[in-house]
Amino acid sequence: MKEFDYFRPSSLDECLKLLDQMRGRARILAGGTDLLVRLKHDMIREDNIVDIGRLDELHGVHVDGGDVHIAPLTTHNEIVESGLCDEVPVLKKACAQVGSPQIRNRGTIGGNVVNASPAGDTIPALSVHGAHVKLKSIDGERTIPIEELFTGPGRTAMRDNEILVDIVVPTIANGEIGFFKKLGQRNAMAISIVNIAVILSMNRSSKIIERAAVAVGSAAPTVIRCIEVENLMAGSRIDSAERLWEIAMKIRDRVSPISDVRASARYRAEMSANLFYEGMLELGVI
Amino acid sequence: MDLKYVGKDIPRVDAYEKVTGTTKYMSDLSFDGMLWGKVLRSIHPHALIKSIDTSKAKALPGVEAVVTWEDVPGLNGFGIAIQDQPVLCKDKVRYAGDAVAAVAAVSKEIAEEAALLIEVEYEVLPVVDDPIRAIEPDSPKVHESGNILLHTEIRKGDIDKGFDEADLIIENTYYASRQEHAFLETEDGIALIEEDGTLTVYAGSHYPHRDQLQLSRCLNMPVEKIRVVSSPVGGAFGGKDELTIQPIMALLALKTGKPVKMVMPREESIISYWKRHPMIMIYRTGVKRDGTLVANDVKVYADTGAYASLGGPILNLALESSCGLYRIPHVHIDGYSVYTNNGISGAFRGFGVPQVTFAMESQMDIIAEKLGLDPIEFRRKNILKKGEVAPIGHHITTDVESEAVLDAMEGSRLWRERERYRGTDKNRPWIKRGVGLALSWQGMGLGVGLPDFGDAVIEMDPDGGFIVRVGCVEIGQGAMTVYAQVAAEALRFPIERIRVVIGDTRNAPDAGPTTASRAAYVGGKAIFLAAEEMNEKIKGYASGMLSVSPDEIEIDDGSAYVKTAKDKRVSYEEISSYAIERGGLPVAEGHFDLPTADKAIEGAFGLPHHIYSCCGQIAAVEVNTLTGQARVTDGAVVVDAGTVINQGGLEGQSEGGFVMGTGYALTEDLIIENGVVKTPNFSTYIIPTSKDMPSSIETIPVTNYESTGPFGAKGIGEIGMVPTAPAVTNAIYDAADIRVFKIPATGERIYELLKQKKGENK
Repeated sequence: MKEFDYFRPSSLDECLKLLDQMRGRARILAGGTDLLVRLKHDMIREDNIVDIGRLDELHGVHVDGGDVHIAPLTTHNEIVESGLCDEVPVLKKACAQVGSPQIRNRGTIGGNVVNASPAGDTIPALSVHGAHVKLKSIDGERTIPIEELFTGPGRTAMRDNEILVDIVVPTIANGEIGFFKKLGQRNAMAISIVNIAVILSMNRSSKIIERAAVAVGSAAPTVIRCIEVENLMAGSRIDSAERLWEIAMKIRDRVSPISDVRASARYRAEMSANLFYEGMLELGVI
Repeated sequence: MDLKYVGKDIPRVDAYEKVTGTTKYMSDLSFDGMLWGKVLRSIHPHALIKSIDTSKAKALPGVEAVVTWEDVPGLNGFGIAIQDQPVLCKDKVRYAGDAVAAVAAVSKEIAEEAALLIEVEYEVLPVVDDPIRAIEPDSPKVHESGNILLHTEIRKGDIDKGFDEADLIIENTYYASRQEHAFLETEDGIALIEEDGTLTVYAGSHYPHRDQLQLSRCLNMPVEKIRVVSSPVGGAFGGKDELTIQPIMALLALKTGKPVKMVMPREESIISYWKRHPMIMIYRTGVKRDGTLVANDVKVYADTGAYASLGGPILNLALESSCGLYRIPHVHIDGYSVYTNNGISGAFRGFGVPQVTFAMESQMDIIAEKLGLDPIEFRRKNILKKGEVAPIGHHITTDVESEAVLDAMEGSRLWRERERYRGTDKNRPWIKRGVGLALSWQGMGLGVGLPDFGDAVIEMDPDGGFIVRVGCVEIGQGAMTVYAQVAAEALRFPIERIRVVIGDTRNAPDAGPTTASRAAYVGGKAIFLAAEEMNEKIKGYASGMLSVSPDEIEIDDGSAYVKTAKDKRVSYEEISSYAIERGGLPVAEGHFDLPTADKAIEGAFGLPHHIYSCCGQIAAVEVNTLTGQARVTDGAVVVDAGTVINQGGLEGQSEGGFVMGTGYALTEDLIIENGVVKTPNFSTYIIPTSKDMPSSIETIPVTNYESTGPFGAKGIGEIGMVPTAPAVTNAIYDAADIRVFKIPATGERIYELLKQKKGENK
């Protein structure tokens, strides 16, 4: 493991100044569940580690208007256990399936997002919830839709002096239902072969879907929204299993996964469709 | 016999220290002035070494020694059976992970940095990675002698005649993956030079006395000058049977005169050390319409990797069990253990038998289904019993409880209620459930022609308690507890006052390896024999103290008394004082030779075994046909255990074995491509977690008294994982109508099979 300088700012302002001085030569340490592994394997270029663990302002959940604000240092387990997060149920389900109890107690949602792994479990969930992320630097702050944050595997649109300060998740509307599904090689401590999040606004009696959001992870360089599928479902009713298959096949056609030691590209593509199909049946859409 | 300790609910003697974290494993030890060792390993699977330049590494401040092949004082080779693996490679590397040089430095970081400064010039050679291709004469050679480590061919009856008699012939090729032991503690330890010049090596392993012998050869040092402490072990499952880091640590300690510690990171451990042999198994099985097996033609290719270690014996053990525990008149078995550049394969719980059991028990399931026979009834019809001729041609002369195991499987809750565990899920019709079973057998001990014995020593200590010394190791299986129970029972003495000393060449006598399901059986029997001698000595002292003849003395619960006048008694404290006054505390020795077969199988060294155990398992599985993923929901393990010494220990072995077998069946696959490990950590090498466990595993012992074992016990350390994979894959067939010929049956593989089937049905 290479040597590095370690900083632990005691305020956000101090942190922003540090990041501005270092300009891309710093790596932020939050829960450390990913960074420490990378450090051990000499996979980190930067010479400076900025530990934001003491920045209380970056920690916790609150509700403001129709939005749940989740500060980036909030751990997966805190989200799972937070009553306030009942209003963002698909995200809660995703957080419950990350890693293991130990990882969920250490790992933060901000880390999972900024890491920009195509397989990050919270990202498709945040996407279908319509989440935005607030980025801040010494120059000011900006808020962008979560999908715009990601530019490639492990790459984001963040500037080299910016830090994630808030994740804004609209609460689920009355009548909206959804699911998060993850296919791993085992039932815990698994990296997703494919994951999928869906939120539907569906009339319970007519089963007409008014609006749909579908996001798939680990099946493309970044998490992707399946807009064509969403439009296909909007305003219609899925009246048969055959129709559901047809829609699922559109997801398979939309993804562009890779082959690796966990799964082949072909399996990933088929699973993106099959997880959707299974989840929709379990939701009772037909 | 009225038993007080054996078979009773005795807590593990090491439980408190283990759960409170005070147990010192070898990786927990440290000494003043200790250095850290680091190995430089080949990144090439196959290459010639043109030069090694250590000058930059030696010049790095903090480096105290750099060693290469030139520093090996004795034989630069080790291996339990054949010593063809260099301690440090001289002119050729044969797998990516082969040790080339090593460094000792004042810190771990400096040692790591220095290792990278060693410059090795290689000439890369073509990689030998396909064991079938490797035996062709024009294949590049891993060793000068050729790529066939061992070829064993066994014939019984007339195989052609057998197939002529058959009404149904089933032919299939099976593939079993390379499995990683995944012990908690990697290959770690310390070597140091004592003041008297003795080399002491602390490193977890299966057999300290053999480590001592191998080190003596490599270091050119007399065995008396080497002490090996190899217990407690943080898990091994066969993976620490062969030497690992010991000779390299020893070289560095000898060179520096200081203690040298090494701790393998997980990736280095996985890349560099032993694995279960991948096998390709081609089976052709003939059966009559009524379900009588008539012929079995078996061909096995075992990928033994770069060095011999136990590759030969593992092949032969696999072949011994390759036809199952069945009466088959016409047999042809042909096996190859083949060198490749695919890492190194060696001992692993089951020792070749899980692979062939997967193949044979799949064949059995296929045949039963084709003939419309109940799978237990079909096995019962063909099952071998004591006195009959085994598939490799020898008579089975000891009790193997094959029929009782089948009866217990049939009577188990899971089998009786199997309909509850079968069929399609009502609410989620893409979930299919099924139940499968498999049967296995396995020889105990090392086999014919190999020295297989155990020594134990019992000493009375000054306060009238006992010290029991036996060379086997506590590998996590509970050996210390079993030894304490056997000693307490045989000495008729309180277990709390018995101290067990194991796994140390200085402080415990050689009892052979803690392998081959033999530690409880051999070590326990040696202790039993030592206790009998100790009891005689105690009776001798008591007779002197009580002025009666020794025959009139009875012993129980820490005192000796006159049979006819129970108030005339002496305590063991009094006996110890009495003995000390008369020249010393009593010491007793027990020696046990494991009974072996009287006739060897020609051309198959080590075969046959003499004592066998038998195990049957049932698995309930659910298959998600949308994802292909299978999950084991329930299990039953019936094991021919002889007397159960410790029920908790038996359940631990059986549940642990079942879970390990589940991982083998469904997820575990150490992938090597072009000689390079693709799954070097637990993020990519997938072992089951608590969330992948079945909701229940029932352990059902069959407890026929084994007359040669301690209080009638047999060894059960390995067999609990042997039949699991085929039980699971047979259950997958029952659930989803697909046959698995390649394990692990990952979600993707099952999904592909489901798609193929769908295509065929269209």
